[in-house]
Amino acid sequence: MSSHKEVIYGLYNDEEDLLKAVKQANAMHLPIMDVFSPFPVHGLDPALHLAESRLHAGGFVYGLLGLLTGFLGMTWIFTKDWPIIFGGKPYWSVPAFIPITFEMTVLFAAWGMTITFYIVCGLGPGITNKVLDERITDDKFCIAFNKASLGDTGKVNEFFRSTGAAEVNTKVL
Amino acid sequence: MADLHHTSSAQTSSQRFELTTTARTVLLSGVGLGVLSLLLVFFNDDPFHTRFWTNILLNTLFFTGIALFALFKYSAGVVAFGGWFVGFKRIWEAYSLFLIVSLILLLVLAGGLYLGYHHLYHWNDAATASSDRIISGKSGFLNKNFFTFFTIVALGIWIYLARKLRSISLDEDVRGDASYSHHKKLRHYSSLALPLIGFLSAAFFWLWLMSLDAHWYSTMFAWYSSASVFVAMLALTIGIILYVKSKGYLQEVTAEHLHDLGKYTFAFSIFWTYLWFSQYMLIWYGNIGEETIYFRTRFDHYKVLFYANLVLNFLLPFLILMRNDTKRKTGTLVLVAILVFFGHWIDFFQMVKPGALHTSHELIENRSSMGQLEQLEAKPMEVSQEEESHAGAAADTGHTGAVAGQNMDTAHSASEQAHEASTEGHASTGNHGEDTHGGSGFVAGFTLPGLLDLGVMIGFLAGFLLFVFREMGKAPLVPKNDPYYSESLHHHVM
Repeated sequence: MSSHKEVIYGLYNDEEDLLKAVKQANAMHLPIMDVFSPFPVHGLDPALHLAESRLHAGGFVYGLLGLLTGFLGMTWIFTKDWPIIFGGKPYWSVPAFIPITFEMTVLFAAWGMTITFYIVCGLGPGITNKVLDERITDDKFCIAFNKASLGDTGKVNEFFRSTGAAEVNTKVL
Repeated sequence: MADLHHTSSAQTSSQRFELTTTARTVLLSGVGLGVLSLLLVFFNDDPFHTRFWTNILLNTLFFTGIALFALFKYSAGVVAFGGWFVGFKRIWEAYSLFLIVSLILLLVLAGGLYLGYHHLYHWNDAATASSDRIISGKSGFLNKNFFTFFTIVALGIWIYLARKLRSISLDEDVRGDASYSHHKKLRHYSSLALPLIGFLSAAFFWLWLMSLDAHWYSTMFAWYSSASVFVAMLALTIGIILYVKSKGYLQEVTAEHLHDLGKYTFAFSIFWTYLWFSQYMLIWYGNIGEETIYFRTRFDHYKVLFYANLVLNFLLPFLILMRNDTKRKTGTLVLVAILVFFGHWIDFFQMVKPGALHTSHELIENRSSMGQLEQLEAKPMEVSQEEESHAGAAADTGHTGAVAGQNMDTAHSASEQAHEASTEGHASTGNHGEDTHGGSGFVAGFTLPGLLDLGVMIGFLAGFLLFVFREMGKAPLVPKNDPYYSESLHHHVM
């Protein structure tokens, strides 16, 4: 996102049209810059040849970290740091630690994945990103092309027309 | 993809499932194995044939639960506007009809309460029911008349619903039209089925399973045992779908549907664990003797099952099915299906066996101590050892009342005679006699499922499959006029 980039994009009214258009663009060898949708569209990832996200692998690691933090933390607190007998149970009472271990696992996995996702996507408090069209977070589905990598814009216009785009616009980002 | 779906469904829409001769032979020999195992168990058993009856009870309840929760899942799917499972809904319909066989088996077992050919339920012992304060307090609920009455009513209602849903569904194939009147009727009966299965199944499991430990109760129990059979049902469904697909049927049921079944198996394995742990932790935390005895018995004498239960039903499915792709690949899915199916059978094993064994062994002790007092002098030294090792098979001192007031030595010595017979049959692992001190000797058929118990389970499974395949063959596998069938064809998970 360094210098100015001229983007030509088409807006679709329906996710089925979008999916067909993406497949059509692939067939026509048009290099898609990005696709925007207000919600996840089934089959879009494979159509765009996107690699499977590794976010969930991160989630597993964060979860494991939370599990160890919870369990070892409870172990340390109740055997070394501040041993207290509850209800005549031993200091190291594994069943009592499990709910906390579970909560810590969920907490770490959820926060870890959220923060990772924000970092990977370049999002965060105080960061503003240029938006192509405000309706892409509401009810429109968008396919965007980088004009520089296209060469012939006539082909793109023909593509948008034939796939039933409701609107075609150009914007400099 | 969509085009492919349509051509294959056009080919199979009127096709009926036919079991191959090889498969039929295999299943029939499975039933034969089951019958043979039952006979072997019967003739090498204690005087009350406890191992024989506990095996029948265990498998009857397990497969009844599978049939019942198939009906429940099917109804829930219909009520929740679900479409994904419609492609293979005939399998769940076929499961649910097994309840008819269940009723027969349950009535045989209930008949035993009247005729006294088994002693599985502590509360059915008239002497105990009157002298034991806890059991007599529950006798309004735990008595053979209500038990039988409830079983007939509950199973009757479930069978009625299963047959009703099936007949509406089959009629839809022939006469279904755009008014969707069949589907509306299906929804009507499904919404009736949900509370009737949900509430009645809880009482069903209290009566048939939880009352095996008649002194004990747990508010989590109905949920916990229901979740157990629910997962087993899902696992068996995965297995049947993959088998049927390999024979060329149901080609429109794809990895997408199996992915969802895998997710269900994953999710409900965790749900089961949540319930198992909640039950365990509340009892552990409360630390009340009447409650902890349930886990004390299982932890001391059924240690392998206690841990295998958690490994097979939580740890392995949780770790294996966590990834996306393992729910779509046949190998991993089948592996987990086998693990959890067997795992939940083991779960039922340790729900059924300890309580029933304790009940009948205590009764054997009592009867022999009254009837065979003249033999007391015989072999007094060996007697106590025998008795201790038998504590491994039966539960220990938690249940009070029935032996109260007796001379314990008398009871011990006299019981030796009765135990002699049972020991021969049970100790097929051979180490029964060795472990006389720890009380944790593993006894096949009691503290561990022995080969014969597995044989009985295989027999029941083969019988269940034969029944299900027969019902599947009676109607087209593809419900072509179901309004959600098209949604099932276009089901995409990722």
